[in-house]
Amino acid sequence: MENDTRAPSQSHPAWRWISDRGLRVETGDTTLTRYAALSSLNLPEIEDIIPADGCVFLVFRRGAGLSENVRSALIAPLAGMPATGGTLHEIVVEYGGAAGPDLPALAERAGLDAAAYINSHAAVEYSVAFLGFQPGFPYLHGLSCALHAPRRASPRLRVVAGSVAIGGGYTGIYSASGPGGWQIIGHTTAVMFDPQRDAPALLMPGDRVRFVPR
Amino acid sequence: MIEVLHAGLCDLVMDQGRPGWGALGVPVGGAADPAALAAANRLVGNDATAAGLEITLKGPGLRFPLGCVVALAGARFAATRSSGAAIVWGETVVLAAGETLNLEQAETGCRCWLALRGGLAVPPVMGSRSTFLPAGFGGYRGRALRAGDVLASSATAGAVRLLRARVPAIEWDAPLRVVAGPQAGQFDDAGLLAFFAGNYRVEAASDRRGLRLGGPAVTHARAELPSQGVLPGAVQVPPDGRPIVLGWDGPVTGGYPVIAGVIAADMAKLAQLRPGDAVRFATIELERARPLAIEQWEIEELT
Repeated sequence: MENDTRAPSQSHPAWRWISDRGLRVETGDTTLTRYAALSSLNLPEIEDIIPADGCVFLVFRRGAGLSENVRSALIAPLAGMPATGGTLHEIVVEYGGAAGPDLPALAERAGLDAAAYINSHAAVEYSVAFLGFQPGFPYLHGLSCALHAPRRASPRLRVVAGSVAIGGGYTGIYSASGPGGWQIIGHTTAVMFDPQRDAPALLMPGDRVRFVPR
Repeated sequence: MIEVLHAGLCDLVMDQGRPGWGALGVPVGGAADPAALAAANRLVGNDATAAGLEITLKGPGLRFPLGCVVALAGARFAATRSSGAAIVWGETVVLAAGETLNLEQAETGCRCWLALRGGLAVPPVMGSRSTFLPAGFGGYRGRALRAGDVLASSATAGAVRLLRARVPAIEWDAPLRVVAGPQAGQFDDAGLLAFFAGNYRVEAASDRRGLRLGGPAVTHARAELPSQGVLPGAVQVPPDGRPIVLGWDGPVTGGYPVIAGVIAADMAKLAQLRPGDAVRFATIELERARPLAIEQWEIEELT
């Protein structure tokens, strides 16, 4: 009975073990609400909770299993839970040129000129779905379908921190310099992650983002 | 206090890691075998959570100007000290003022942990003194040690006790035990057979972020999935079919199918695999794996 593979619904999410310590829980559109609800319980069996794309991942302490407590928390109704955070951030971006080498090709793919492409990317208010890949790297939800684009066939060996990028249906911002496969359309000087700050990540799951062309 | 005379391949300040920051994209990290570092700490009279050094494949030359009480746990390295006295793994070792300790090649395995009395006094970052190399923070200035670095240790009180650790045995010839992953159903029979019957080898391009494996390609239907949470030990299969076992500093989310996850009890063995080592996998039930996960080394008085 450890794997519950029923179809996901708000009250009965499906879950599967990835190892003896990692449990993936399918949460669909309720990911951030379920994440907030689970986090607020401070369950003693749970070492970490990681929201991602339509699922929440629970890391159990060594030796801990799915107690009745955790099981109830996973299936508890979410009605009435407050929405998370929601701080609005304005991120100033230099689009195109050396800061956004993939912008011309992506604009052509979308059937737009560069100015229209930039307007389209900056017109939307995005929400932070989750952080991953690098500390503080936000996966932003809300990208216009016309701007969806696959990752590069061959990743770049070095993408600079602050690069604003497109990967599939997400737009994101590189928080550290390093290898990366997303398409680069611009750059921001905003510091996405600083481990010395009280809040190390500039953007948190549930926050909202507007890009402002410089 | 430690002076680094020459650096090893990758000497990193580590403690038990920084759990609880996964939602920010920060992995737990910390010593690749936290129980081994905890045992070394107890041998020198520290709290299990004190910071020590994780030493990989080839060790550093260290000088202890004020003398020090140290202990080593994990893989055995060829080692000498300036006094000529023996260096025993898993025991309290008292170094005189000005003594040097030279750790050379690992004789078996890949990593060992050096604890010293008081623990390394680097500033904690996000609640831990562990180095996180991929983003360059924590530990000693966010990087591996270099010649000329000087590391302070915290002051301690109380008498030194001479202790010995009973080292848990690792079954080197046994396969790594795994739980079948959430996407195991996406792999066809040929892919599953390749993985579970295959003999793999650890490739040179392996580090604390992940162990890359060479061997039979694992075929699967879909190359990319929505990003999902992962943890160290998760075996991801990218489009080229070559499995990667995520390591201690690996990402907290991933978009490749996960075929299996190495159980917590076998992560200490994963920490000792070096490039060229053979790897096989075998499944184990969750209920059998869990009780194996709580590991604490026994410590006894040295008589």
